[in-house]
Amino acid sequence: MPEVFSISQNPITAHAFNADRSQLAVSLNSNDAQILIRSGSEWVPTEMLTEHDKVITSIDWAPNSNQIVTASQDRNAYVWQQTPDPETGKIVWKPTLVLLRINRAATHVRWSPKEDKFAVASGARAIAICSFDPENNWWVSKLLKKPIRSTVLAVDWHPNNVLLAAGSADMKARVFSAYIKEIDERPAATVWGSKLPFNTICGEFTSAAGGWVHSVGFSPSGDVLAFASHDSSISIAYPGGPVYNIRMPTLPLVTLTWTSEDNIIAAGHDCQPIVFSGSDAGWQEIGTLDNGSYAAGSKAGAGSVGRLKAGAFATFRDADSRGQTSNGTTDTKLITIHQNTVTSVRPYAGVPGQITQVSTTGVDGKLVIWDTASVNALTGRMAAMSM
Amino acid sequence: MDVAFRKIDIDVYDEDALQDSELYEADSRDPAQVLGDARARQASVRSLLAKNDIAGALTAILENAPYGPNVEDAKTMSLQSLLTVLNSTKSTEIPAVIKSLSMDSQDTLMKYLYKGMAMSGWADSNASVLLSWHEKLTEIAGTGCIVRTMTDRRTV
Amino acid sequence: MSNVLRPYLAAVRSTLTAALTLENFSSQVVERHNKPEVEAGGSKEVLLNPLIISRNENERVLIEPSINSIRLSIKIKQADEIERILCHKFTRFMMQRAESFIVLRRKPVPGYDISFLITNTHSETMLKHKIVDFIIQFMEEVDREISEMKLSLNARARIVAESYLTAIST
Repeated sequence: MPEVFSISQNPITAHAFNADRSQLAVSLNSNDAQILIRSGSEWVPTEMLTEHDKVITSIDWAPNSNQIVTASQDRNAYVWQQTPDPETGKIVWKPTLVLLRINRAATHVRWSPKEDKFAVASGARAIAICSFDPENNWWVSKLLKKPIRSTVLAVDWHPNNVLLAAGSADMKARVFSAYIKEIDERPAATVWGSKLPFNTICGEFTSAAGGWVHSVGFSPSGDVLAFASHDSSISIAYPGGPVYNIRMPTLPLVTLTWTSEDNIIAAGHDCQPIVFSGSDAGWQEIGTLDNGSYAAGSKAGAGSVGRLKAGAFATFRDADSRGQTSNGTTDTKLITIHQNTVTSVRPYAGVPGQITQVSTTGVDGKLVIWDTASVNALTGRMAAMSM
Repeated sequence: MDVAFRKIDIDVYDEDALQDSELYEADSRDPAQVLGDARARQASVRSLLAKNDIAGALTAILENAPYGPNVEDAKTMSLQSLLTVLNSTKSTEIPAVIKSLSMDSQDTLMKYLYKGMAMSGWADSNASVLLSWHEKLTEIAGTGCIVRTMTDRRTV
Repeated sequence: MSNVLRPYLAAVRSTLTAALTLENFSSQVVERHNKPEVEAGGSKEVLLNPLIISRNENERVLIEPSINSIRLSIKIKQADEIERILCHKFTRFMMQRAESFIVLRRKPVPGYDISFLITNTHSETMLKHKIVDFIIQFMEEVDREISEMKLSLNARARIVAESYLTAIST
């Protein structure tokens, strides 16, 4: 049974946990990031990170160095560190400036596995690779530009700390080298290539029917790339080998994460996490984590054309003409736990390659923690689909 | 004072701007050849229809359908032969026929259904047929099929 | 409900559901702006193919999707001059009060009678399937509304003519 927390009424645009999962950073579709602490079965708001002046689009929490990075549509990113306040001595989150050098919104941010770099995707047709400059006490960036032709929507790091995958609105998923001489050791050769100066393109994949690439992810070993695109499909690409494309009969997926070398969990506009499984011989959809019976109340029969009449309209008409106040109709609820688009799915428990739990947040303001083992057949989907 | 310069769309001159041609892979076939193909297909569809092989006729049209610019004639011709097939299918047979199609063909069929509805002057005679096919196809191939019709720039 | 109306509305419903897959998307043309891409039209790659669903020559729906907004335009059935006038007045009345309808556009797209503009903010604050229901409900009601208005107009004209003519027939 998944754990469900209602964090807010507003959409959750991004979420990130700290290393021991006792704290959570979320952005509630606003300019501030909120830190929550778990107490029992609740999440209690504590600190507010206020520095951005437009909506925060993405948050990432580095587990080992305990630093938070936030990216926003105001073209900025900040790195937050816990330091004692000089006056009161209390431990507070302090921002450090990041010189992004981008002139459009920052859309997505991720720490590299070693936590010495992070990548910021942006609407300026560029990805900023940021590293710390101790002399000036700020983060400096190097831009990956060519050959990106549109807003970058998602990034993901390869486990070797050098390669970076990016998905963008020009319908391509690409693999870049983000090798920075001053920081990185020479990487060992991978399936993606052996000589990797900065901005080398190690792979370029196009979505099957021309959808924007919403999410990208390297497999735990880093040898396989998966990406979800707006043409309601997910593609799994083997460098130099086959590219498997699974078309879905439902609405597009917008976020994905690998749970093991042969399993992916993806979610999106269909409001439920879907599990894909396979190997280099082929991939398929195997089910959902949401069995459709957790949500309270069952949904009235799916989408006949004049359904509104039977619902809200009938309520008011009865109240008006007959003075009846009918008991609330249940057709406002979907049968899935998430009541709106799931915008982010992230590993919650387990080690890379063997994730036992994932967390999802969505536009409905809910945080749900799922066991990756309990996969159900796709039963409730027809109803959700024809909503 | 001349203010016409204010209306110039300067974004087209941005060398980073994305061009139509970069949004999808162009059809490598020559327009004349595509037109020839469409004609050949029209004939084969007729013979398949005469044999009452609806699924075969549909597959014949939907595979390698013409797309992209400069092939308007071939596109219209394909749509015409498709409509002949759709019109000559009994409504009870539709689900079985759709199920026999590959996913690619289902996506292409959806594109043609929308194209058929968009053609001005064609709607009166075909609307009800197109709508009932649309309904059946959505039942089988799902909303994902409609999403792909929207995203795929290789318009038929 | 007539036989063609049901598949017509079903097609609009499924197409609209497919199009309402919006996300927050900041402009990549103008700094720090965030506007409906379907209206701005500045970047081709974030616009999708517009789709038309038609019931007959005079009744059709145009759906123009993009990454953060969709525009839905309806051409309402107008059989004769009276219906044309009624339809014009009716849609004008609505559109002058567009902000109360939240998703209504102040001006229709050329060739159509009324347009709706749904952005990612709307799909975040309202239930998506209820927005779809609202549009479908509107389409169902508008035809009936106009034909009812036409009937009452004719009835009133008859009463006026009768009472006027009784006055001079004596």
